Amino acid sequence: MSAPISDERWAFLLERAGLDPMLAPERFAELREGYQFLARIQNSVRKRRDRAAEPAHIFVHPKGK
Amino acid sequence: MDPTRLSLAQASRAIAAGSLSPVALTEGYLARIAALDNELHSYVLVLTDAALEAARAAEAELRAGRSRGALHGIPIGLKDIYKTRGIRTTAGSRVYETHVPSEDAETWVRLRNAGAILLGKQETHEFAIGGPDFTLPFPPARNPWNTAHYPAGSSSGSAAAVGAHLCAAAMGSDTGGSIRGPAAYCGLAGLKPTYGRVSRRGVFPLSYSLDHCGPLARTVEDCALMMQALAGHDPLDPASADVPVPDYTKALTPRLDGVRVGVVRHFHERDAVAGFGRESTPSPVYVETFDAACRTLESLGATLVDLQLSPLIDYADANRVIMLSEAYALHEQDFRQRPHLFGRHMFSRIGLGAFLTAADYVEALRQRRELCAEFAAAFAGVDIAVSANATGPAPRIDAVGTFNTFTRASYTAPYNITGLPALSVPIGFENGLPLAFQIVGRPFDEAGVLRAGHAFEQASGLYRERPPIAASLPGR
Repeated sequence: MSAPISDERWAFLLERAGLDPMLAPERFAELREGYQFLARIQNSVRKRRDRAAEPAHIFVHPKGK
Repeated sequence: MDPTRLSLAQASRAIAAGSLSPVALTEGYLARIAALDNELHSYVLVLTDAALEAARAAEAELRAGRSRGALHGIPIGLKDIYKTRGIRTTAGSRVYETHVPSEDAETWVRLRNAGAILLGKQETHEFAIGGPDFTLPFPPARNPWNTAHYPAGSSSGSAAAVGAHLCAAAMGSDTGGSIRGPAAYCGLAGLKPTYGRVSRRGVFPLSYSLDHCGPLARTVEDCALMMQALAGHDPLDPASADVPVPDYTKALTPRLDGVRVGVVRHFHERDAVAGFGRESTPSPVYVETFDAACRTLESLGATLVDLQLSPLIDYADANRVIMLSEAYALHEQDFRQRPHLFGRHMFSRIGLGAFLTAADYVEALRQRRELCAEFAAAFAGVDIAVSANATGPAPRIDAVGTFNTFTRASYTAPYNITGLPALSVPIGFENGLPLAFQIVGRPFDEAGVLRAGHAFEQASGLYRERPPIAASLPGR
């Protein structure tokens, strides 16, 4: 879990996403609590990777028999 | 004899032999729904008249000497994200509370053509992600083994209904474990097929590249019978694969001689606590039960090999970033314009996708590529693999928090990320609630997965254990 998010950072994220928290204040308050989990996950998927690790051809499926 | 006590396969054989009428079977299930579903909340819509009419038509066809196969006259349910033409389909959301689709899900078309009878639409977490949400118009389904407990989700109503014998089988969907989690907590067989094996057309999407459709049933054989009708290419589903479909029931054998089973122990023995913290510690009973299940596979002739893969959290995190990105893209307009319509769990879970960047998504896809390659290499030395499912009994339903999906270990995500077929099978009990593990196969080897699951199930005999609520109604 990451540190709680500052008011300024939260306001920036909402504006960038085009969201208006006044449309559902309680929902957005809870969403803010969840941001700390997201921040950990965002960091987790950023790693040095082999060049072959690209999004093309995710699945290695056999050809039809 | 109460026909709702039968498995799908047993009922099918009885109908084929002429000793069971589809009308009697349908009436039996409808009576159970009327008597018990006030407690379980597994259905959001019961189609009493339409089901009876379909049952009478099925019976008339049989009398005329025409059988559609193993599902002829078998009453089933659909998770309420499967579109049904002319029948309300809500996706468990206020956004679609009165929505009546003009199309049928392709899977429902195939099941209906195979003779299945639709009993009703079953409770789902909102848009297949929302959690047990008491703020929505549809009360959350309850666990048939103990109604104070959570049946897991998002295919919660489908699992609760199958477990309580309120239908013979049901369709769920699985983006991070939504078939296999409910199967585990409700003591059922639940199959997430290979990505591309079963059409997703006409099912409300959650995440394009992670969504899978599949069956929940009381036995592995029942899943095999459902898969026979469901599997196969759908040219109108962009993800559908044109791969031949084998005879799934022919693959079922009592022994597993010569089968090499890769056992992924480190997911639950090491990675759960290391990645998610002490709250994800597997229960001692689970660890013991998992080991005993592996020994049962060995006793059936299988050879066990330890598999070492990337840490569980790598699979779970890639799954979350991809799911949230794709799901938010689907719902962005409603988040901006009418967020008050969403339930609180759905809002907070999918809403996090608003804060992911394109770089996050691409990095998660790259991680996915690596994990798929790793699993493909691991499968070079084995025929199937087994790994943990939920590593303890179902929690109380009021103990499930909005962000549990982020704070607890997910054992099911690896097979959404890799697209591999994965079957949840019961392996025992703790405090009167079911425990399960997963059997995983190579791409499109559902037959191998079902074979192992069936052999295990027959050896363990656990499919005979039913919750008290599944007992026959008085006088039946």
